[in-house]
Amino acid sequence: MPGARSLSAEPAESAWLALWYDRRAGFLSECLTARSALLADLASPRAAQDRVLADIVGISASSVHWREQGYDALVASGPADLAQAYREFLPIMRYDDFVPLLEREARTKGGVLTCSPVLRWLRTSGTTGTPKLVPYTQHWLLAYRMPAIRAMWGTYLRFHPEILAHPYTTLDTQTVREDAGDFVHGVEHQAISNRNPRLHDGDWNPPWYEAPWFLPDVPRGHEERMYHRIRQLLGRELRYIAAINPSTLISLRCLIREYRAELVEDLRQGTLRGQPWGAPDPQEAARLDRLLADPDFRLTQVWPSLTLYSCWLAGSAGLYQDKLDAILPGVDRLPFMSCGTEGVTAIPVDENLVSQPLSVNQAFYEFVPAEIPLGELLDAGERVETLLFDELVPGRDYHLIMSQANGLYRLWTGDIYHVDHAVDGVPWIYFVRRDGVFHSFTGEKLTEADVTRALRQGFAELGLELGLYLCGPQWEEPPHYLVMAESSQASATLDGRLSEAVDRALAQVNIEYASKRDSARLGPIRVRLVPNQAVSDYVESRRTQGNGTQYKYKPFQQDTAFVHQIPAP
Amino acid sequence: MFEPTGATPPDIRREIIPVPCDDVALDLHVWQPPRPRAAVFYFHGLQSHAGWLWETGPRFAERGVALFVLDRRGSGTSEGARGEIPDAATVLADYAAALAVVRDLIGEETALCLFGHCLGGSFLAALLKSGTLHVPYEAAVFCSAWLGKLHATLSEDQLRALACDNGTQPHDVGLSAADFTADPRYRRFIDGDDLAIRSLTGRSRAALLQLEAMYLDPEAPALPPDVATAFVSGSADPIVDLDDAHRTFIQLTAGRGEIALLPTDRHYLLYTEVRDRLISWTTDFISAARPRHAVGARRHG
Repeated sequence: MPGARSLSAEPAESAWLALWYDRRAGFLSECLTARSALLADLASPRAAQDRVLADIVGISASSVHWREQGYDALVASGPADLAQAYREFLPIMRYDDFVPLLEREARTKGGVLTCSPVLRWLRTSGTTGTPKLVPYTQHWLLAYRMPAIRAMWGTYLRFHPEILAHPYTTLDTQTVREDAGDFVHGVEHQAISNRNPRLHDGDWNPPWYEAPWFLPDVPRGHEERMYHRIRQLLGRELRYIAAINPSTLISLRCLIREYRAELVEDLRQGTLRGQPWGAPDPQEAARLDRLLADPDFRLTQVWPSLTLYSCWLAGSAGLYQDKLDAILPGVDRLPFMSCGTEGVTAIPVDENLVSQPLSVNQAFYEFVPAEIPLGELLDAGERVETLLFDELVPGRDYHLIMSQANGLYRLWTGDIYHVDHAVDGVPWIYFVRRDGVFHSFTGEKLTEADVTRALRQGFAELGLELGLYLCGPQWEEPPHYLVMAESSQASATLDGRLSEAVDRALAQVNIEYASKRDSARLGPIRVRLVPNQAVSDYVESRRTQGNGTQYKYKPFQQDTAFVHQIPAP
Repeated sequence: MFEPTGATPPDIRREIIPVPCDDVALDLHVWQPPRPRAAVFYFHGLQSHAGWLWETGPRFAERGVALFVLDRRGSGTSEGARGEIPDAATVLADYAAALAVVRDLIGEETALCLFGHCLGGSFLAALLKSGTLHVPYEAAVFCSAWLGKLHATLSEDQLRALACDNGTQPHDVGLSAADFTADPRYRRFIDGDDLAIRSLTGRSRAALLQLEAMYLDPEAPALPPDVATAFVSGSADPIVDLDDAHRTFIQLTAGRGEIALLPTDRHYLLYTEVRDRLISWTTDFISAARPRHAVGARRHG
């Protein structure tokens, strides 16, 4: 299999190859330096949190909003008192509380929430579906977001330096380059995964930034973009596929299967979608055609050189693990950071797939035990005491409240994290679920975590492995929950026993569910097994243009419409 | 798109500083790099405000230059009646107050360039000629400014009528985004900007006439000879009669100023392909202005 090609390739190709080689050492250095800085801060977490909070106060104290509210008085607090004074002075906020301020900020492009210019607005879907505005400020980009992504890549590079061996070793699907189509008072409004255009020399600039599969002129639709990526890397010595969601890796294989004929023909002819591209490679085309004839082909057969993949692997994303093992056997894996558009929470520093250290140099973090009804207390205007990172107890779940240096202070994110363990006083955490995302016919408030745990238990009783599933409320008399779950042993005869086992398990996991079942206000949960790829295919069918990179699998559905679209075994 | 330099960009301070002026609070918008080597004080035009300069501020800062923009009374985020320009003395006092704040912030050693865009050039000219500005400055740039426009385009009768106009009815200012820029993105922004001024009262136009008269008056004090002055615009401008504007500029500066033309036919240079050239040119102009003396590639006089 050919590796790097020489710079005597076609002019356009040699241009980006030259940029790749020019950039490699600098990129490697930046990423490893950022990782070292993170490790140093993890060794002194209190100092890091104090520094971050002082920075947040420093960047916001002179802002219009802080002056209007009198928060600027915080600058008089000594370092020892700042964390306490900060929590006493400033209220816990929800995104909606910031909306009027963000509208002012949109007009001034800085100065309202922080004293840093807003370079871009980051788009993220709110739970209501209305896109949010997250200010992407110069200070936040330089001092926080860039160090975070570099530190994560520093970990990838520390454990797998081969991913920068040559220009074709890495396929990055974490980020894209697309021309923005939406503007807020003249300023681009786009997903954080869209790194186009670069804002300045401090912006994200991996060596493949000018690679032909990464350019903005690659088609925007998920399938077509993927086709371009696959085609351009077929026959190359690909070592690493970087993704955010595991479904992207599953989708990659599905699309190779779906577009077998076109890919083989393009490879044979030296074309891309029929247009000249690269040299004809009939040998590789024949090899690909033979292996794709097997419906169970693996990505490691397409690219035998693969040594690494990365994506989210905790929480509901972990349900993909069996599928990933099947298509990427023997390939090392590393997790993607735990983050949202609003900010980073945890960054991988090693090969731990379950949890990652709280990224103490990224934000000022506060926590509230998950069992406390935070929303109700805030609605009632009550004061809520928060815990700092060193007051958390391993094994427990917490609401996350995060202050970022982009102006979104004390933001109740709605995310609930589990503390796995602690190292050097730093909690290692993973995302469990969204607060308030539950099913409840009659007050049982069934969470995704509840159902996953009950399913795992029920499946284990029958000697089955749990894969992807969907769960929705079925409005009958009495109402009940309906689950469709993948299994290689799908059969109607198993469904009854499995449903009983999961019903029992759910009653143990959620005492309100048990109570409602006892009083017959709820019918028993029903579990139907479906073939292994059925849920995955359904999930992929929901991926649309515009949500390709950030598209997430969500086990909880608003209704049971999926039942009619997933074929029975 | 930015031009890669390989240098780490500065962590720019973006502040909105309140400047109390009589009974209203005016907003002084700031983009400031660490340890600026120079500063620009920008007089915005009739329609625009500081919120139009979100890309300009960081680009000046990347060159080590701080940018200050006062949202004029009634404009942008400042207080004051919309569509109203107060009498000349009030407007000039507002600017003088803001400039005093700026000089205080940057210190005596940092070069200060006063930069008037379009109608902002008229305010700048009036301020310089009024004798009311006691803040030292090193350079003055008039950008796409039709200096003396009312006097050049109105008849004697119309000028007399306008001088007495005390009307409060709003009149459309008749500006088109297409004249400002050819870039659809900026056109959409201008058309949708709810802070932009779209109309002006009759008495406001009278105030503008009053301001013009101040700098057109041949008896007005001359500009300090050690201040570098320049007029810069596109090679053509759909809003400004450049020949007339140049004549007024030459008269204003007694022929000691520089005139520069950049290759665009649109009015708002900062929303055209010459933006970075304008910023670089201005930065170089300030640098050359220190110590205070006039320099220029093209002299008129």
